[in-house]
Amino acid sequence: MSRATVELDFFGMEKESSCKSQFQRFLDRRRSFRGLQGAISKMNPELIKSVIASGLTNQGQENVNPIDSNKSFSVPSSPKEAQSLLPTLPVLSPVARATSEKGPETAPLTIFYKGTVSIFNVPRDKAESILKLAVEGSSKNAELTKSEVATPSSDQRQLLETLNGDLPIARKKSLQRFLDKRRERLTCASPYGCQSLRRYT
Amino acid sequence: MEENDNKMNKTMTSPVGMSDVVLGCVMPYIHDPKDRDAVSLVCRRWYELDALTRKHITIALCYTTSPDRLRRRFQHLESLKLKGKPRAAMFNLIPEDWGGYVTPWVNEIAENFNCLKSLHFRRMIVKDSDLEVLARSRGKVLQVLKLDKCSGFSTDGLLHVGRSCRQLKTLFLEESLIVEKDGQWLHELAVNNSVMETLNFYMTDLVKVSFEDLELIARNCRNLASVKISDCEILDLVGFFPAAAVLEEFCGGSFNEQPDRYYAVSFPPKLCRLGLTYMGKNEMPIVFPFASLLKKLDLLYALLDTEDHCLLIQRCPNLEVLETRNVIGDRGLEVLARSCKRLKRLRIERGADEQGMEDEEGVVSQRGLMALAQGCLELEYLAVYVSDITNASLEYIGTYSKNLSDFRLVLLDREERITDLPLDNGVRALLRGCEKLRRFALYLRPGGLTDVGLSYIGQYSPNVRWMLLGYVGESDAGLLEFSKGCPSLQKLEMRGCCFSEHALAVTVMQLTSLRYLWVQGYRASQSGRDLLAMARPFWNIELIPARRVVMNDQVGEAVVVEHPAHILAYYSLAGPRTDFPETVIPLDPLVAA
Repeated sequence: MSRATVELDFFGMEKESSCKSQFQRFLDRRRSFRGLQGAISKMNPELIKSVIASGLTNQGQENVNPIDSNKSFSVPSSPKEAQSLLPTLPVLSPVARATSEKGPETAPLTIFYKGTVSIFNVPRDKAESILKLAVEGSSKNAELTKSEVATPSSDQRQLLETLNGDLPIARKKSLQRFLDKRRERLTCASPYGCQSLRRYT
Repeated sequence: MEENDNKMNKTMTSPVGMSDVVLGCVMPYIHDPKDRDAVSLVCRRWYELDALTRKHITIALCYTTSPDRLRRRFQHLESLKLKGKPRAAMFNLIPEDWGGYVTPWVNEIAENFNCLKSLHFRRMIVKDSDLEVLARSRGKVLQVLKLDKCSGFSTDGLLHVGRSCRQLKTLFLEESLIVEKDGQWLHELAVNNSVMETLNFYMTDLVKVSFEDLELIARNCRNLASVKISDCEILDLVGFFPAAAVLEEFCGGSFNEQPDRYYAVSFPPKLCRLGLTYMGKNEMPIVFPFASLLKKLDLLYALLDTEDHCLLIQRCPNLEVLETRNVIGDRGLEVLARSCKRLKRLRIERGADEQGMEDEEGVVSQRGLMALAQGCLELEYLAVYVSDITNASLEYIGTYSKNLSDFRLVLLDREERITDLPLDNGVRALLRGCEKLRRFALYLRPGGLTDVGLSYIGQYSPNVRWMLLGYVGESDAGLLEFSKGCPSLQKLEMRGCCFSEHALAVTVMQLTSLRYLWVQGYRASQSGRDLLAMARPFWNIELIPARRVVMNDQVGEAVVVEHPAHILAYYSLAGPRTDFPETVIPLDPLVAA
């Protein structure tokens, strides 16, 4: 069985066709400059699942649009099919979870950049380094450049660098709960969601 | 907090002039804590009179003193506010078991504080047993109970409150994490209480409450002025609203039915503070008939887009307080500036990041800020998440917002390019122009503010008591310059900084008014040794070392979240804490390796 390759449109190269829904479609929006791994972890997991599902069913398609504009963004096009085919996010894990796990197995890493597409088979640690380079390349003043940081062991240094380099703006608990609840309500509003809320848009 | 036993030894004998009788008459009219502090330092007699007549105390961090000390000085206290966890807890950055237990305080209150009528716990851990003790000992006299962003208790604890606190005028539970067993607590309240004025369980997950009990409270409590509830269907409140005849404030509810069914809902005639959860564009018109009466509008949890905001806001010329998400957009701010000339407080929170979840127009930038500054001259509080910013817009605020006492700006990280960075000159202009500024927060990104800009903050904030600084400055030099100023700075929070432990320690020693410091994201060393440069008597230093926390995200998948180290340091008369969880480590100069 061929391995599913997931391509993610980080720089918003693909504009989806406009379609009316309760929330208007977004335009070509840049992701957080802090890093691709941040972008992946911020993406709606439902979205990611739908991409995998359509990736599995549409093997020939090169550029899978992660945002399916014709449906509610949290529901895949054919959920029943998709669910039976869905593994748990296999291909994304080496890239999305930049922890200190290292392993010799390689996985495909696809990069969209200025209209070109490149696919590499890289081991996990290489993928992390590439992502780190991307992050450092995009930030203007890396926090640690001028410092004389005390020299801890390499594990500790890696931890320190990861931790000091990526401190996303924290969200207020109350807002986060609301946004989660809103997402749930929208899931329920779709024809395939739960029947208990008769919410009409 | 203003207890300084050391100073007592230096007081003089009784001053010439004012007799105790006169003083006793005058003293109760002095309310401001700083004035009271000054009064208590004059001489022993004045200290004692202050202690006898002081009505309210706020303890900004519960570990700065002890229940015993409070009782020894202010035994006749009528009102107490206690705060526990650092502010960062509101952003999920502090371990749940960090501390801030109310138990020792409740026990002291039960024994000795016979005059206490009003109690406010904020970001603290409360147990059912604490509520039981409180209800049993103070139930007959308690008028105000606020469990504000607290956790650790259940509706069983609230049962005791409902049953025993019959004089309760205010029950405030907003944003508390409460284990819900049933809705019986509200029923007890409904059956036993006839003086309730403020009832608030907004932003809690208490859903088993029955609307019949709400109706009963409205009927029994003729002075019920403010009700904020959880997600109860609005149509179920058709009996409640007419019964709450003098209601001025209502927040919460939920819209789950067809929009046109809501046009039949009639709101109480004096309603002027409103926030309807999940209100969308189709339900919004139900507010129009009384929109011109509205003084406060909470749209944080509504489902409106930019256009909806414009349509609603232009109908609210008397608006004084607005809270919403950045979906209001620059266009909405322009409408606000034109329509709401009395606006005093504006909070613009951060909406969803995911594409498509918010209006594409829903971003706030320098354009909206400039319009706002020019249009709303009475602004006192402004907190805003922006996607873009310029120095000029900050200069506008400095020029026009002369009444501003609280300013908070966060620069979101979605856009890679910001129009005009660094913000050195804009920040300077704002600080120089807004002379009444007491609270200031600036959260930027690398390159957002240079060391020179950071020194401006130090130089031009003479009255600022609290600051939150995120990603500011470039090096230790900037921080050290900053620390030479800020003469009034009592509480400093910093995040994502490039500063070394040594620089942080020196800063603490130089800031003359500083009594509380919180930092996350700095050049941490393994041992925290360099922080010892700020070791001194009465100064507690605590570390929360870097952690990896496994959490479940919104789809229930396990995600590893990395939390960099925190430093928390504060003055305390009670010595180091004795109730540390595993995640918190005290830095003891005697023991440190």
